[in-house]
Amino acid sequence: MTLIGAEGGGSESDSDEIDAERAQASLRAWEKKYQSERAWEDLEEDPLTGRLRVNARAVELRARERRAKMASAALRGGAAKGMMRFAYVVVDLSRAANEEDFRPNRLSVVGHCAAAFVREFFNQNPLSQLGIIVARNGVAERLTELSGSPEAHCAALRNALDASGDFSLQNTLNAARTSLKSIPSYGSREVLYIMSSLATCDPGNVWTEIQATKAAKVRVSVVAVAAELHVARRLSEETGGTYGVSMNADHLDDLIMAHAPPPPLAEDATKSCLVQMGFPQKKHVSKDALIVGTRGDYVCPRCSGRIDELPSQCTVCRLTLVSSPHLARSYHHLFPVPAFKEYASRNVSAKESGIVALECSACLASITDASLASECEHCSNVFCFACDIFIHERLHNCPHCSCATHVESRKKAS
Amino acid sequence: MRFTIDDGGSAPIEVFFPYDSVYPEQVAYMREMKRALDARGHGAVEMPTGTGKTITVLSMCVSYQLAHPEVGKIIYCTRTVPEMEKVLEEMKALQAYIEKELGAETARMLSLGLSSRKNMCVNPAVADEGSRESVDGRCRRLTASWVRERRLERQARDAGRTVAAEDGEGDNEGGVSCCDWFEEFETAGEKAVLPPGVYTLHDLRQFGRAKKWCPYFLARNMISFANVIVYNYQYMLDPKVASLVSSALEKECVVVFDEAHNIDNVCIEALSVNLRQQTLENAGRSITSLNARIDKAKQTDERRLRQEYERLVNGLAQQGVLARGGGEDMLMNPVIPDDILREAVPGNIRRAEHFVAVLKRFVEYLKFRLQSTQVEQETPTAFLQHCAANAGIDGKTLKFCYDRLTSLLKTLEVVDMDEYNALSLVANFAALVGTYSKGFALILEPYDERYPNIPDPVLQLACLDASLAIKPVFERFQSVFITSGTLSPIDLYPKLLGFNPVCAKSLEMTLTRECLCPMVITRGADQQAVSTKFDVRDDPNVIQNYGRILVGLAQTVPDGIVAFFVSYSYMENIVSKWHETGILREIMQHKLVFIETTDVVETSLALDNYRRACNCGRGAIFLSVARGKVAEGIDFDRHYGRAVVMYGVPYQYTLSRILRARLEYLRETFQIKESDFLAFDAVRQAAQCVGRVIRSKKDYGLMVFADKRYNSQDKRGKLPGWITSHLHEEVLNLSTDMAMQVARTFMRSMSQPFSHDDSKKSLFDQEMLNRLAAEGGYREALPAQARKLAPEIMMHI
Repeated sequence: MTLIGAEGGGSESDSDEIDAERAQASLRAWEKKYQSERAWEDLEEDPLTGRLRVNARAVELRARERRAKMASAALRGGAAKGMMRFAYVVVDLSRAANEEDFRPNRLSVVGHCAAAFVREFFNQNPLSQLGIIVARNGVAERLTELSGSPEAHCAALRNALDASGDFSLQNTLNAARTSLKSIPSYGSREVLYIMSSLATCDPGNVWTEIQATKAAKVRVSVVAVAAELHVARRLSEETGGTYGVSMNADHLDDLIMAHAPPPPLAEDATKSCLVQMGFPQKKHVSKDALIVGTRGDYVCPRCSGRIDELPSQCTVCRLTLVSSPHLARSYHHLFPVPAFKEYASRNVSAKESGIVALECSACLASITDASLASECEHCSNVFCFACDIFIHERLHNCPHCSCATHVESRKKAS
Repeated sequence: MRFTIDDGGSAPIEVFFPYDSVYPEQVAYMREMKRALDARGHGAVEMPTGTGKTITVLSMCVSYQLAHPEVGKIIYCTRTVPEMEKVLEEMKALQAYIEKELGAETARMLSLGLSSRKNMCVNPAVADEGSRESVDGRCRRLTASWVRERRLERQARDAGRTVAAEDGEGDNEGGVSCCDWFEEFETAGEKAVLPPGVYTLHDLRQFGRAKKWCPYFLARNMISFANVIVYNYQYMLDPKVASLVSSALEKECVVVFDEAHNIDNVCIEALSVNLRQQTLENAGRSITSLNARIDKAKQTDERRLRQEYERLVNGLAQQGVLARGGGEDMLMNPVIPDDILREAVPGNIRRAEHFVAVLKRFVEYLKFRLQSTQVEQETPTAFLQHCAANAGIDGKTLKFCYDRLTSLLKTLEVVDMDEYNALSLVANFAALVGTYSKGFALILEPYDERYPNIPDPVLQLACLDASLAIKPVFERFQSVFITSGTLSPIDLYPKLLGFNPVCAKSLEMTLTRECLCPMVITRGADQQAVSTKFDVRDDPNVIQNYGRILVGLAQTVPDGIVAFFVSYSYMENIVSKWHETGILREIMQHKLVFIETTDVVETSLALDNYRRACNCGRGAIFLSVARGKVAEGIDFDRHYGRAVVMYGVPYQYTLSRILRARLEYLRETFQIKESDFLAFDAVRQAAQCVGRVIRSKKDYGLMVFADKRYNSQDKRGKLPGWITSHLHEEVLNLSTDMAMQVARTFMRSMSQPFSHDDSKKSLFDQEMLNRLAAEGGYREALPAQARKLAPEIMMHI
């Protein structure tokens, strides 16, 4: 912005002045790039309050992006997906994580994203287990073993955030692979790398390790913070994972979060089989009971052992313990809500004919911006954008469709 | 796919293109070629590497040949053997496609590669020889006509004896052993032909092994029947080789010089000779041995010497009489064929002993000249005068030296040519200096500039005019194309090479994304200008800032980085300074460092390890030199080169006397300003260096020009169009920290997923071409009358 002012003021007749001005302008040439992006044009002043706000066009643009993402997620439904995921998150805490291209530095952004991911992972896959490996000083350090408790992982990660030394792909891969070797055959094995480093410093040939990982049917995905590393891309290609490079901190978050829903299963990655599970009941321990071991609230239905939290494995008889909402939540990945159709494009004529007062059939608020409203294909109800997002990302059910099926089944029953 | 190219001039050409899609610039290239082919003229086209130049040229030429059978062979000249193999592989794809489309019968074509004996020989006894010269020598020893004749005589005589006894006697008995492959090939005679197809060197060797025919001579024999010939520049440009191989080619041929950005230097080298003390001493020894041979011949076989004398009296033009169908391949005249005088050899060198005496005198004279303690520079005319006055040898005698030597060696039935290398070099020198009075300079330097205390005299006969060597090619062949990724400024090449192109065009690369990011770093983070200008290049600040650039890049760029310096000495200097100041250690934290040296073996080992480091993700930096071997021939594509840094402007060594002589000549003859030529030459080298990282459209790479001089228009404007079109204002005049910011963003955006759909606008598939044709959108490629036809008639899948 200042640049424009400088050029505008260059009306002096003194040629030296003009030259200096020009030199000054070319010095700031790189600013022009940002000028061409015109980020300020997305802002507008609210006529009533005088505050700056992001204008409608930008909002719409972002909304569309988000919707497209939802649609592609819905499309991916129907494929076989692993319900029981055993995943390792490898967090790169090498020297490169201290760089400051993200504010305040990569380390804190990555730490934040990783913690958020761990929570979201258990939110979406309550039956799965996760462990954290950190890579620093050239070695792989198994921070937490595979387990089902998000808070334990997050706490461990918070305490470990300190970066130094080199990153070793081979060592981390080896640590993850050897640990994943022992998991039952129905579980899907995954590794997610969050990689800041642009190089890997390995003790041996990383390619033999990659081949071994491939043979062990471990799916490795990589989210790189800075740039594409050839060997990492090949690793994810070989093992059937995905590879992403972040553009900025928000994008990094998106990329990492994309790994929270279960990926489609490869043909022969897992065997389907029946798994024994227990549904423990919550029984408070009486104050004066004598207890050896953990003092949990839940009681294992098989051995009556005490467990702290769900889902987990019984510490005594190794039975998988879940609660029924967990099962239900894992289930929705198999049958996602189909993406809603855009409302405005189809019903232009309706709009013209005078029906202006459009109401969201979920939150019952009137819809001001019809271009963002959408319509369920099954029940033809119109939803506002916020509800659309809520239904797809949180609820995983169309309220009107499920209501209709409920009514129908009732009718049949009667 | 098949599509029609029409520039509105003459009949449209249906082009057979073996792939399902074509880049717009390829179509544009074909249009340019067609224009030149129609006009029977020459062309110079610049198109960035990675846009499929080779297949474009091949499919256009072959399609044109199919449509116009009167057009002769396609001669594709490459610089290296691997390039040659690549061309032939492309040709294979094209041939297969045409056969599929037209049926095997109509599309019977023969394409073959030709290289030296070393690359083609299948005789294990010969092929195992190390160097090219020794393979050549050994081959000649087995296949020269008189060797074979003698062997036949012996065989007739010794018919009774056993074969084993013969083998045991070996060479020293007068060359009794022979090459089975060559004999079989000779016996087959007319029947020894290659069936149509595409033959790489490997295929030729295999075919030769299977048939037991010598692949080298078979290939040379088949040149006159082939449709497409792929061989080295030398076979076309160097008169010594060209007269052997390329003399039988007809006028209607289409000649293509690929990677021709250095063609002027190749031309100049083909006509330049350097003589050192060592060479002259060797030549002196050769003369002694030649004398001995003459004496021996006089005693045993005087008839032959007398015959030769008779022949020489009758004139050199009749020398053809001597040519016998053997594998001897005698020395050929280094002078352009048109410049050889068709007259009798002067009397004073007709007799063998007289000629040898003249040679001896000449060598002595040269030795005397080399004793000079100061630098001398003179024109050929002055040299001849001085020579006539001091040694009594006139120009005309010198002019015939080479042919006379050839004739003598043939007469004496000498086969081990390498023994006479030094002598033939002297004769070569004599012939050139005797023939040309213009466009050459003689420069005598008593010592190397770098080591003024060590006497190392060298007499250089430097060709100054690149057009001399290539002129006959332009005159002889109907259409000659020079093409490369860097031919800018494109109007300078025709001037340098002395030809009038029908089309001279610089094509840009259409990209789906900005996959190349050139930038100019003019100052370090401390705002001090960086440059390799002579007065500031050793400034510790500049060196420090240069180091910081590399450290920054090592942090931001994954996998491989290549850095080019202006010279070996500067690289050594700067690296040792980096070592002292700890910059090198900082770089090594991120990546391994490899260095190019003057030793080829060492360098290839370094390159190999560099590639391994890139493959396994360790990341590496290769420090190299502009104008070096690596800068010219090695690709750093994909992860082998994500960024390239050009430190400084790679000017030639401007104090070199040869260069100064050439500059003066260029100014006087072609009115090219010294500074213009120097800048052009430096910038084309720089472009060549940075172009190493982009080898295809899917690739991406950062190109850093680290010198403040690149910011000026006269340097920047000389870069090829496909680089300048990406040199936006925001990437000019950057300081190191800003540049790293740009690099970071670039690396991130290039790593984003890249779908095939995105590439639609830079890729025409059949459907697209059809649609464009139907809409008339591609007006240029498809003119009005073609568009009137239904699209399905014009294009068939």
